[in-house]
Amino acid sequence: MIEKVKNLRERTIHKLRGLPSEKLNIPVAYWIKEDRLLDKIGKEFTIILRTKGCSWALGDQGGCTMCGYIQDSCVDSIDSNNIKNQFMHAWNEKIKEIQDDKENYIIKIFNSGSFFDDDEISEDLRKFIYGKILEVPNITEVVVESRTEHLNKEKLTQMRSELKNKYIEIGIGLETVNDYIRLNYINKGMTFNEFLDAVELCKNSEIGIRAYLLFKPPFLSEESAIDDCVSSIKTLITMQINTISINPVNVQRGTLVEYMYQQNRYHVPSYYSLIKSLKKGLKTQESLLTTRIVCDPSGAGSRRGIHSCTKKECNILMKDVLKNFVLSQNVTFLKKLEEGEQCFCKLKYHMQKMFN
Amino acid sequence: MRIIFELVSEKIGFSRIGRIILSKEERRYVSSPNIIIPIRRSLVNMVDFLEEFEKHPIFLISNEIFLKISFLRAKFKQNGFIYTHYGTFEKYQEILEEYKGLFLQDNIISIIPFNNPTTVMNIEFAKQEIEHHIKMSQELLNSNPKLNFGMTIKLFGHAELINLYFPVIQNNRNVKILNFNDLFEEKRNFRKILQVIFETRKEVDKNLIFMVSGKILPNSYPLWVYLGFDLIDSSYILYLSSENFYDTIEHLLPIYKVQYFPCSCCACKGKLRKLASEQFSKEKIEQLALHNLITAKNQMHKIKQFMKTEDYRNFVEKSSMNDMVLLSMLKVLDHQYYEEIKQETPSTQDTKTIESIGPSSYFRPDFHEYREKVVDSFEPEPWTKLIVLLPCSSKKPYSESKSHKKFHEIMHKFKEFPNFQEFIITSPLGVIPRQLENLHPVNKYDISVTGEWDSEEILIAQEMLAKIIMMYDPEIPIICHLSGEAYHEIINKVMSNLPHKVYFSEVTNGLTSKSSLKSLENLLVKCKDIYNISDSINKQYQESWIRVFIKTLDYQFGKGIGGFLFSEEVKIYPNKDKTRFNIRDVKSKKKLGVFIKKSGQVELSLYGSNIIKDRIKDIHYLVFNGDIINGNTLFRPGVIDFSNDLKPNNLAFIWNQGKEEIIGVARMLVGSPYIKNSHTGPIAKIYEKVKSEP
Repeated sequence: MIEKVKNLRERTIHKLRGLPSEKLNIPVAYWIKEDRLLDKIGKEFTIILRTKGCSWALGDQGGCTMCGYIQDSCVDSIDSNNIKNQFMHAWNEKIKEIQDDKENYIIKIFNSGSFFDDDEISEDLRKFIYGKILEVPNITEVVVESRTEHLNKEKLTQMRSELKNKYIEIGIGLETVNDYIRLNYINKGMTFNEFLDAVELCKNSEIGIRAYLLFKPPFLSEESAIDDCVSSIKTLITMQINTISINPVNVQRGTLVEYMYQQNRYHVPSYYSLIKSLKKGLKTQESLLTTRIVCDPSGAGSRRGIHSCTKKECNILMKDVLKNFVLSQNVTFLKKLEEGEQCFCKLKYHMQKMFN
Repeated sequence: MRIIFELVSEKIGFSRIGRIILSKEERRYVSSPNIIIPIRRSLVNMVDFLEEFEKHPIFLISNEIFLKISFLRAKFKQNGFIYTHYGTFEKYQEILEEYKGLFLQDNIISIIPFNNPTTVMNIEFAKQEIEHHIKMSQELLNSNPKLNFGMTIKLFGHAELINLYFPVIQNNRNVKILNFNDLFEEKRNFRKILQVIFETRKEVDKNLIFMVSGKILPNSYPLWVYLGFDLIDSSYILYLSSENFYDTIEHLLPIYKVQYFPCSCCACKGKLRKLASEQFSKEKIEQLALHNLITAKNQMHKIKQFMKTEDYRNFVEKSSMNDMVLLSMLKVLDHQYYEEIKQETPSTQDTKTIESIGPSSYFRPDFHEYREKVVDSFEPEPWTKLIVLLPCSSKKPYSESKSHKKFHEIMHKFKEFPNFQEFIITSPLGVIPRQLENLHPVNKYDISVTGEWDSEEILIAQEMLAKIIMMYDPEIPIICHLSGEAYHEIINKVMSNLPHKVYFSEVTNGLTSKSSLKSLENLLVKCKDIYNISDSINKQYQESWIRVFIKTLDYQFGKGIGGFLFSEEVKIYPNKDKTRFNIRDVKSKKKLGVFIKKSGQVELSLYGSNIIKDRIKDIHYLVFNGDIINGNTLFRPGVIDFSNDLKPNNLAFIWNQGKEEIIGVARMLVGSPYIKNSHTGPIAKIYEKVKSEP
């Protein structure tokens, strides 16, 4: 399987070489929208930086089977100043809006790789970013992402001290608590013990953990996706992980998932399965006392993303149920689907589930 | 549940009738073959579904909700359940642990699931995953020795990996069901499907229940049962229903195209017609599911009925006609797996007619075996002076037809009649020696007769005729009383390569017209003295029935057996309607055996068997672990040795432990492959045995 993943990756990397220079100074994307903070509704300011790319994806293991974010990288070496320009481009566009807003913000800096990989983002650049964030009082929370091998005490200590009293979370792509699925189906190259070590490291540095769960990895049946997600949620809640971010698979270009999808060997997850996983994983409201659950699926409602059926109204309803739950962190929102007229697609889902 | 499978009878091909015992004390069982109906909340809430299926013997449940005692004991107390989980193995283990008491006590068995991965990238990946699944299953089986399980087998299209499963199946007595889950995933790879089935059948206990699940359509159920599957999971029907398909068995039609509902089930008579055109209707899907499940159930009822009272193979052929893949599978089965399948096909069938419906019938195992055995076992009677080739007739046996009676009227005018060897040329059985016209399937086959034969039919008859004629001295003349291009083509093609001289009668206005029969008579006059025989015929052999018994015994047990048994004087005692003929040795006055016209076989007595025992020591035998058998059924634990040529409905000789004496004669219930791969179960029905001293 690794050979296949590598092969697909190499084709993508080949196409990415020689990006025009104007692209190197503008971030991949940035936006502001409503989001759930630790204890209330607030807003997120997300910046996606274009860096060299994820070391795992560029390495000889080919990267994760579902991840197409290498498309957002430049693959060749990129100057730190370019990345700084990207950051400042987004920052300058949005800072006034943020400062004028009464709401609190969570800033998310993603580089489709590891924030703490020096080959992607240098130490100096990180320091610069911390400095900018510190300037804004109503940015109260900070999220960055990293693979565990790039985490160490020094980097975390530095971040903690630079960002003073802001709440920090490191997003780690755990994907699932099941080692077999993570290593063999997702090709993550990370064990659960390594995740635990990372959790310990962050705890010691008074930094929170945002565990990403992948909903319906390739090679898993629909019902197995539910079981896996429920098991992961329960385990992480028991560990009192600060935030669980559930990410349903969407079919990204150049990935093994896309290859399988085009051959009708992979079916994207259903909203019904996701809602069921949340209901089963969070039996009571008490589960959410120590852990925040977030979920903002990419490509939702489209053919390549999580959806329920072809009817627009149905997908909108699903999206709203999910959004309301995430913003309120109130499990009763998950039961909204059981009220009123059920879409016919629910029956279809139950009858087809075992074959997807 | 301590589930046990009991074989009731083996039928044609690998099909079999059995019983899955749910409770021996309460005498509750599920008859097989059968379909497993999936339970879903939406279905259980439908009154029509409950009415239609509440008495159905076996269901599939996959939701924990239904693992409640109240559900199992209240609504469906008399039924059997299979539980499976469509999720992760780990979750299944949790559920098993939680409900262990239920699985131990009640009418429910769980199937170890193999849901992940859903697909593989290559054979190495498949092998790794299968090994992982087997490892986890083995641990589960070890830690639950008192629970019985089904084992899911997935191969991801790599048939050769089936070998990985055999050790875990063979080494764990608590594996009772083999659930082939993805066998039909790529049905165009039908050679691989057959390869898997045959390799599994060679290696595993025959008392394991064979189950098939996955993407199975009801039109293929007859073939699956023919291949030996006892249970078929009908869950795929729900998927098809949710995709708006209406099943008529012959075709899967999108419901919006159905104008004329060919079904009178409660769904079709009820709401389904009105809902058919509604695009987003939940109720329509429910009604479709109901109709489709009823259709599948009816298909299974046909299978069960036809297995018992009709020629089941014929039904399998007809059902396969709508699907080219199924038809191809049947063809490959007949040609490439003939040796294996003939071993398990009964030598006789209690059915009215066996229809040959076309090319798919020519090489069915009983036809193929008949043709093969005739060539292997038939040898010319030493007093044959003349060969007469005749056409077949629609009435069987041929000699009871009007046409053959007329032929015999002519032939019986000659005292040399016993020196004439008649052969009937027919499709698709080839060449029938007169003496063997009562054998199965000759005595009950039927075929559409138009006078036109296709090239394959001609070739079959031609090859067989050539082999038989070559057994005879080239000086023996051959008379052909046949009409029609096809017959002439066969004779001419055969004779162009053989030195024998052929004389054609002149046929005008049919073979039984006065002039045609006169022509036959004239030829007999002309040819009867061409060939001189040196031996004078034993008077005993002038009796036609004796000639029949001799050739029949040769067919059943090998060349020369019949002649040896009838070397001394015998007398025949037919019953009133001449359906049974007792054969007694004149000297000892003891019964040698009885000829049963219905099956065309000679049932040897114990006395008769012991006369020929030195000649039959290596064939058709079972060795019993003792000297006296109790009861009238021989069970597997009592058999310490057996020959490889045993087939269902064949006669078998039961020897004592030292293999010195035949202590019983029996009719086989199973074939040698079953005995080889089983530890329990009935093997043979004894009709005569050495009695124990009082």
